[in-house]
Amino acid sequence: MSLKDSLQSFGDQLYETPFSTMLREITWIIPTAQSIHILAIATVIGSALVSDLRLAGVIATDESPATVVRRYLPWMWTSLIILLLTGSLLVIAEPARTLANTVFWTKMVLVLGAFALTLFFRKPLLNPEFRVEHARWWAAAKPAAWLSLIIWVAIIFCGRWIAYT
Amino acid sequence: MNLEALFQQIYDSSLAGTIRENTEAFPWIESLHVLAITIVFGTIMIVDLRLLGYQSHRRGARQLINELLPYTWVAFVAAVITGALLFTSNAVAYSHNSAFQWKMVAIVAAGINMGIFHLTAHRRIVDWDDALPTPMAARVAGLSSLALWTLVIFLGRWIGFTLSVFF
Repeated sequence: MSLKDSLQSFGDQLYETPFSTMLREITWIIPTAQSIHILAIATVIGSALVSDLRLAGVIATDESPATVVRRYLPWMWTSLIILLLTGSLLVIAEPARTLANTVFWTKMVLVLGAFALTLFFRKPLLNPEFRVEHARWWAAAKPAAWLSLIIWVAIIFCGRWIAYT
Repeated sequence: MNLEALFQQIYDSSLAGTIRENTEAFPWIESLHVLAITIVFGTIMIVDLRLLGYQSHRRGARQLINELLPYTWVAFVAAVITGALLFTSNAVAYSHNSAFQWKMVAIVAAGINMGIFHLTAHRRIVDWDDALPTPMAARVAGLSSLALWTLVIFLGRWIGFTLSVFF
């Protein structure tokens, strides 16, 4: 049985569960989950835009990168949890639309990539002892900031395309 | 000419026909619309929370507003253009959709709220730039803005579940 077939049959079983059925039958749940999902990704984009543009040297260059990251990183983590929770509800409600969909899995890989970049290039800045200008990867911080923004934009595009593929 | 005839004429235009008939056009425009909205909401939220007294990466409110507002405006213009293209493709159905109608009302209300803020608290911003708590007028404007833009996003998503052409 191929991976795609296993995912398909898992999705079919998930679809039949009472919880999945309930999510579909109470008609306001899916649009509400999607709206909260968009509000949370907007929070991530706002936080990522300011943090990444600071790291890229475009805005707020008179503030230290640590000040900016410390302000917005907690928002990003909270939003990420909300995104995972609302996203899970959407997958459970309509497994066929997502689990057997290449765009969905592309999106998941991109989310992991953005998460890894944030963890590696942002989280160390939370430590007051840490001096980003002296980090071994300081030269990579600027390209990483642009890459991070590009990945978030790609995640948004994938998110909308899941509905059409 | 009445509105109904105008919307029908928009629907019959070649631009609308192109968007309807090209199956990839709608999702591409919609993706750009969502991207623009996330930048609008994401940047406005940072300013609104600052107006409510939550610190941003800037100490002063004035500098924060000057720094983020250009991004908000560019994204807002992109959202309006992409939104207009989506509307064009099914102008008659959208104009009859109550979620769409309320979304337009909410956007106008958010604009009026912003206008009032700029004519009142923002005029005196040098007096309260880095003072906390922020003046009542700034807090009311921040809270109203957050509520209205959240409503705009919910109503926008509701269009997709209630528009007759999708069923």
